Amino acid sequence: MDFEHLIEGQVRRIGLEKKGATYVVRDGDVVFEADIRRISEHELMIIVGGRSYAVSLARDGDRMCVFLEGREFVLRPPGEDAGGFHRGEEKGLDESLVVKAPMPGKVIKIEVAEGDEVRKNQTLIIVEAMKMENEIKSPIDGLVKKVFAKAGELVDSEKILVELELKK
Amino acid sequence: MFKKILIANRGEIAVRIVRACREMGIAAVAVYSDADRAALHVQLADEAVAIGPAPAVESYLDMERIIRAAHETGAEAIHPGYGFLAENADFARLCEKEGIVFIGPNSSALELVGDKVRARQAMEKAGVPIIPGMKSIPNTVAEFKAAACDIGYPVIVKASAGGGGKGMRIVAEDKELVPALEAGRREAKSAFGDESVYLEKYIEEPRHVEFQVLADNKGHTVHLFERECSIQRRHQKIVEETPSPALDDKLRSKMGETAVRVMKAAGYNNAGTVEFLLDKDRNFYFLEVNARLQVEHPVTELVTGVDLVRQQILMAAGEPLTLEQNALFQRGHAIECRIYAEDPLIRFLPSAGKILFLREPRGPGVRCDSGIYGGWSVPIDYDPILAKLIVWAETRELARRRMAAALDDYIVLGIRTTIGFLKDVVQHPEFKAGRLSTAFIPKHFEGWQGMAKDEEILRLARTAAAFAELDHAERESSAPFRGPRKSEASPWTTSGRWRIGGA
Repeated sequence: MDFEHLIEGQVRRIGLEKKGATYVVRDGDVVFEADIRRISEHELMIIVGGRSYAVSLARDGDRMCVFLEGREFVLRPPGEDAGGFHRGEEKGLDESLVVKAPMPGKVIKIEVAEGDEVRKNQTLIIVEAMKMENEIKSPIDGLVKKVFAKAGELVDSEKILVELELKK
Repeated sequence: MFKKILIANRGEIAVRIVRACREMGIAAVAVYSDADRAALHVQLADEAVAIGPAPAVESYLDMERIIRAAHETGAEAIHPGYGFLAENADFARLCEKEGIVFIGPNSSALELVGDKVRARQAMEKAGVPIIPGMKSIPNTVAEFKAAACDIGYPVIVKASAGGGGKGMRIVAEDKELVPALEAGRREAKSAFGDESVYLEKYIEEPRHVEFQVLADNKGHTVHLFERECSIQRRHQKIVEETPSPALDDKLRSKMGETAVRVMKAAGYNNAGTVEFLLDKDRNFYFLEVNARLQVEHPVTELVTGVDLVRQQILMAAGEPLTLEQNALFQRGHAIECRIYAEDPLIRFLPSAGKILFLREPRGPGVRCDSGIYGGWSVPIDYDPILAKLIVWAETRELARRRMAAALDDYIVLGIRTTIGFLKDVVQHPEFKAGRLSTAFIPKHFEGWQGMAKDEEILRLARTAAAFAELDHAERESSAPFRGPRKSEASPWTTSGRWRIGGA
């Protein structure tokens, strides 16, 4: 069976077929046999060409976290942009002109008002999480079109905070 | 000795203290906010008391609630851990008034060293070298501006009540001063409940070297040598070690004697740490006293063989300190890495959320002081520290390699952590050479892009993910008594509902 993953910014396809006690893996021109055993819900062991790997993995909705050789990878289904989906009022906004909360947290201070002119890297909003203040900066020189957040508000990751517009 | 101790903290340090209590035959009472009902420290404690909503000011910083919890459970003493109320003299005084032993320094010593400005004055008087800075807390911006000019830029804004990088801002020139003061005050207020800040001369690329001190209630005081904590990010220590590669025996004993002098001048008792900056010419300056158990206390425990939490409890109970300076020595080398819930690839933004899978490293000389478990959701409300990984080995180089190997074995799935970043830090040639300074991270790790990519490992990760899906589907279809089948097709198979045929 073929599987496609969005990994490290690229969509990659891999084929896996059972052959006796092992699996034949097909990755483009690369074909090899892998002896894969599941040892617990979250742990596999894989032997390929005499090399042994311990792999841990966990699925969280449409996100698969895989850890091996001291590194973690996050795999997503193809065709889904990493930002996820938009809701309600946020629909139809130009992605390059919206500023989103990079993590869940609490809005501490809004430094700009609608109609303000802002410079690139100017602080727009300060969001606090885990006791650290994070300054959310403007990605462009432009104008503040709309502010979606209020001071004191708890925001989720990816929540749109400010919409900007280019100067005419 | 106490029969019951309340631990006014959470996370890994609360767990550490619960363990010490258990070994000493003392019952441990945990307190928890609504966000921490399922936290590890609550699980491990003998008793647990809910103390309020998630925001720390309404729970872990609420003195009345905590005192009430101690009275309700009959706890004779309170261990404050670090952060929260640990260095709050009002709280120490309240404990004294309520007949509860505060496991830490007496309230007047705490007040003195907790007021960084007064502490500097006292130390200057005691002949301890200090960094040029403000001698009082001004009220107006104009006074701050004048002081900054006197001291000379660059200056650093510091929270009068705190440590741990909270409220700190470096100011390179005049026009940055006002926003830095504002931000510093807000952070100080939210972290310590006190917004006063002051200015100090900023020494470029110093080493941060601190000395652990123990003092019993009768004034018998010893130091347990240094910890080097130069590897910092946003003024927050991330890697600590002992012995410091920068000290020789002569400088070590000179600094150690100074540390003891600092504590005696402050009338200090219980465990505390004297922080120094060490400049490039090996001059050292008194920075501040951390009047608490430090995050990085385990490295000292591993090289001196002294259990610091146990010593704190013994001294708080009025027992004499039985350690003598000339019988203390450092054996081998220890390194600690702090594991934070932060994403090193996105400006170290906090990464709260559910831990889907956790496996902590084990092995000879490996210690993991952890406050988390697999399946737990890390709340957004508190400091992002998850755990500390500490290793011991005969030499610094062996300890460094042991740390790199242990970090490789540290698996936290579901949230982002600093583990991969730390591995690159301990493997950096300058770290290996022991050439450390507080500028190490900005100098060598600005714009860190993650670990090197390896096509073969990437392929195996994809293989494992594919296998998991295939295996999952097989197990579902071969189950003899299939329950209501989840019609969830794998989003990754090319024949799944998400993508047909791989067009």
